[in-house]
Order: sequence, then C-alpha cells, then structure tokens
Amino acid sequence: MTPRERYFAVLRGQPSDILPRIPILMQFAAEHIGSNYGAFASDHRVLVEANLRCAEEFGIDQLSTISDPYRETSGFGGAVEYRRDGVPICERPPLLDDRDLGQLPRPDPLQAPRMRDRVDAVRSYLERSGDRYSIMGWVEGPAAEAADLRGVSNFFMDLLDDPGYARELMARCVETAIDFARAQVDAGADTIGVGDAVASQVSPQTYESLILPFERQLVDALHEMGVIVRLHICGNTTHLLPGIATLGVDIVDIDHLVDLAVVRKVLGPRVVISGNVDPVSCVMRGPPEDVKAAVARCHAIAGAPFMVNAGCEIPASTPPPHLHALCTPIAAQL
Amino acid sequence: MTTLEQLSEAISLGKNKDARLFAQRAIDENIPPAQIVDHALVPAMALVGERFKRNEIFVPEMLIAARAMKEAMTLLEPRLIAAGVTPKFTAIIGTVQGDLHDIGKNLVATMWKGANFRVVDLGANVSPAKFVAAVQEHRPHLVGLSALLTTTMPAMIDTVRAIRASGASAVKIVIGGAPITQQFCEEIGADGYAPDAGSAVDKASELVAAGAIDSPP
Repeated sequence: MTPRERYFAVLRGQPSDILPRIPILMQFAAEHIGSNYGAFASDHRVLVEANLRCAEEFGIDQLSTISDPYRETSGFGGAVEYRRDGVPICERPPLLDDRDLGQLPRPDPLQAPRMRDRVDAVRSYLERSGDRYSIMGWVEGPAAEAADLRGVSNFFMDLLDDPGYARELMARCVETAIDFARAQVDAGADTIGVGDAVASQVSPQTYESLILPFERQLVDALHEMGVIVRLHICGNTTHLLPGIATLGVDIVDIDHLVDLAVVRKVLGPRVVISGNVDPVSCVMRGPPEDVKAAVARCHAIAGAPFMVNAGCEIPASTPPPHLHALCTPIAAQL
Repeated sequence: MTTLEQLSEAISLGKNKDARLFAQRAIDENIPPAQIVDHALVPAMALVGERFKRNEIFVPEMLIAARAMKEAMTLLEPRLIAAGVTPKFTAIIGTVQGDLHDIGKNLVATMWKGANFRVVDLGANVSPAKFVAAVQEHRPHLVGLSALLTTTMPAMIDTVRAIRASGASAVKIVIGGAPITQQFCEEIGADGYAPDAGSAVDKASELVAAGAIDSPP
C-alpha cells in the first residue's frame, strides 16, 4: 500500500497493511535537513523539502503544511516577524487595542503572501509526490484565530464580557478559514487540519455555547468540499470531548494529557483517534524501545480506527532514532 | 454580607466594577488597606485558585478575576505604600528565552500578587542573563520560570544553571508550563513544579515557609 492508500483505508474502515503515521513536524523537520525554523515558516520550498525528506526517511504517511499560527493573521494585516530558531511572532495582534471589526479586511488566500505560500506548498507536494501521500492543508480554528487577532487574554475575556462580539469575531475567522481551506483543496489537499488549541482552556459551557457552533460551521463547509477533517486541539481536552463528539470530524488529535479510553468511549467507534505519545517525556527523551512500547499502548487503549501520532509536535531536539521508533510499522487492528 | 465579603465575592466572580466599588467602600469605612488585602483580596484569589484546580473554572474566569483584583489594587496600592506596608516576600517571574506565550506566566504573577507577594514581572522571552541580573537587583525569595513550548525547555535548564552559578543559592526556583513535569523539575535542579496557577500559590507558600529562606538571598 502507498502511504495515501493506507491512510484512506483506515478512514474507510477497510484493511490496511500497517497503521498510518501522521506526526506533526515543524522545527524538527527544518533542522533535520540542515535548514532552520525561520526558513521553514517563510518559504514553502523549505517546508515541502523538509517534510518530503522526513516522510521518506522516517515513514510518515501524510505531508503537512503546518508551520505556525500566523498565516491568516498576516492576511488580516498582522505584522509577522520570523526568527531563525523559533516560532514566528506577531507582536501586535491587529485587534489588540482597537477591537473594531470594521478595520479587518477579508483576506484573499491567493493574494495574501503567507496564505498563498501555504497554498503553494500544497501544490508543490502534489507536483512532487503525485498521489503517493495524503496531503494535509491547514487552517486556524475559530477560537485560535480570534485569539491571534485579539490577543489570547483579550479574547478569553471577550468570551465572558461580550459574547456577541466574540461570536462576530469568530464568524469572520470562520469565513476566512473556509476561503483559505478551499484554496488549499483546489490546490490538491485531501485533508484539512483545523487547529483550535486555545479552546482547551475554556469551560465546557463556554466551548459548547460559543466556540463549538463555529467549529461545526467550518467542519460542515470542509465536508462539503469533500475532504477529510482532522481536528487538533492540544492540551487537556477531556472536558471538551462531549462537544467534540458532535462535530462529525474524521480524525481527532489527542494530546498526552488525555486518557484514550475516555476518548474512545466519548467519541465512539467511527472517529479516527490520533495520538497520544508524550512528545517530550517519551518521544524526545526516549529510549526508542519506550517510544515503540508507548505507541503500542496507545493503539491498544484507543483501538481501531487509529493513527500513530505524538500528543503534539515532535520537539526539535528529538534524536532521529526516537522518531524512527515512533514510526516503526505496526500492524493495524480492524 | 460585610463590605469585605462583598469585595471578595466580586473579585472571585470577576466583577471588576463591583470590585472597585467595594474596595472604595472599604476604604471609606476606614478599614486599613492591609486588612482589606488580607481579608478580601487574598481569600478571593485563593478561592479562584482552588476552583481552577478543581476544574470548576477555566482560564477566562481566572483572567476576569485577576482583572477585578487589579481594579481593587489600583485603589489600595497607593494607600499601602503610604502606610509603609510591603509584602513579606518577593518573587520574580518570566517566560524563558524564546518563549513568547505569557498567559500562564501572567496568571501565576497575578495569583502570587493575590497571595500578597511582591512580584517583579520580567515579561516574556527573558534571557538567563536577565534573570540573573534581576535576582541580583531584587534579591527575591522566589523565581518563577514559565515555558509553554517543548522547544524552549532547554532554555529553562540554562536559566536554572545561570541562577545557581550566580551564587544565589538560597533563592527558590519554581517552574511550570504545559510540557513541564515534576520529573523535569528534579532533573534540572529546580526547587518546585506547579502544574497550574492555583498550585503555583501553594508551591510558593510552601517554599517561602521553609526556614532556609526566611531572609532574602
């Protein structure tokens, strides 16, 4: 089976030769090919080269376009500064001091340079690898993008102080996420990842009443485009699981802080669970035998359908043998 | 309810306008500012920390409680200074070099202030040298290091080493952040690990209660 075939086999509940491996690589991949995070985030050619080489070397089944949270924020007018060895920064979120939504443009994903760069990454993957791998585009979820635009603390307080404003802001974010996703799907993405990490920090009531409806709107729009939806909310999401279960996403990334048995029970038998080996204490620190054992343990607890992944990004200083261990082929359960 | 109870409740529920109103009323009732802090602000933030630890409230609720406490403090702080009242313990805090995520650090700083610590906030992306300089300048009882990213954990190791190497042997170092664990704390020679902002108050209180640090280093 090709990587793409086994990925879709698991999604369809069909037999696959081994479990698909879908770890998230960013700074690790950049440095593994002798480049740096700043280049990876600012130039899709570096991102594509790094992920393709890692996919071949380690046996990864999906090519990702994740680099940092500020692609859309840049399109909305935020100034993004690259750093050689760290995540790009946006010192002044566009709505930090002036919360007027009237000042926000509606970014054009094919014109805004940082959004266009991700679309180009998808296109380049397709040109270079054809249909060998799954190709995952990426958008920020409604809460994550709202927090990027307002500043995290401001947005969290908006959720309680002025829910109407928070809703209006998230509606704008979803509108852009749909535009951005469509451009990536048109370029060749078969999967769209939705990152909404800040949602893990709000109460179940706030999540279900304010954030979840916008996530649902986004997920429904992505499914209408005919793509797989992979939800990534890192951190402890145990309290959000009942809400997540109603979203109808295809793959849910689960961080190491969450009990996979609870996840399976709440999300049900059809959702693909991806995770949740501890990225630092296990993957980064090893040894490789422990990483392999952790993957097997996660698979045993989560059951099928399952894809191999760490709880979050593979840390930059992970020794390559540890990533090899994570990606060691494992026969898939049905 | 007494005015102090009303103030405490307003803070714990994050009602900043009420917090200001009741703080002013307490002042007007000639309650000494130190007593207002000890009997309204400190218990309010302790309750917030406890509720957070029990998952009864989450970060947004903590943020608005912290904002309400700050609102009350804007009225109380000048009066505390005028009365010569200073917190017994000093802490410095910052996110380690390369880490720009400061929400957890801000919450811990506010919780420590709410527990009546003097807090020197060095901000985000603080180099080991800057931490050392701040330790030498402020002679704190505690240093708080925060890292949200796995990629910045090595900077935490460098910072602990630099503070120890500077000769500030008595200062206690508390670390926290999403990827941090008790095991990591022990490996790098920090004195305490706090998994959340509520626990950070307990850990700070526990460390400063130790006789070895009754006097600043």
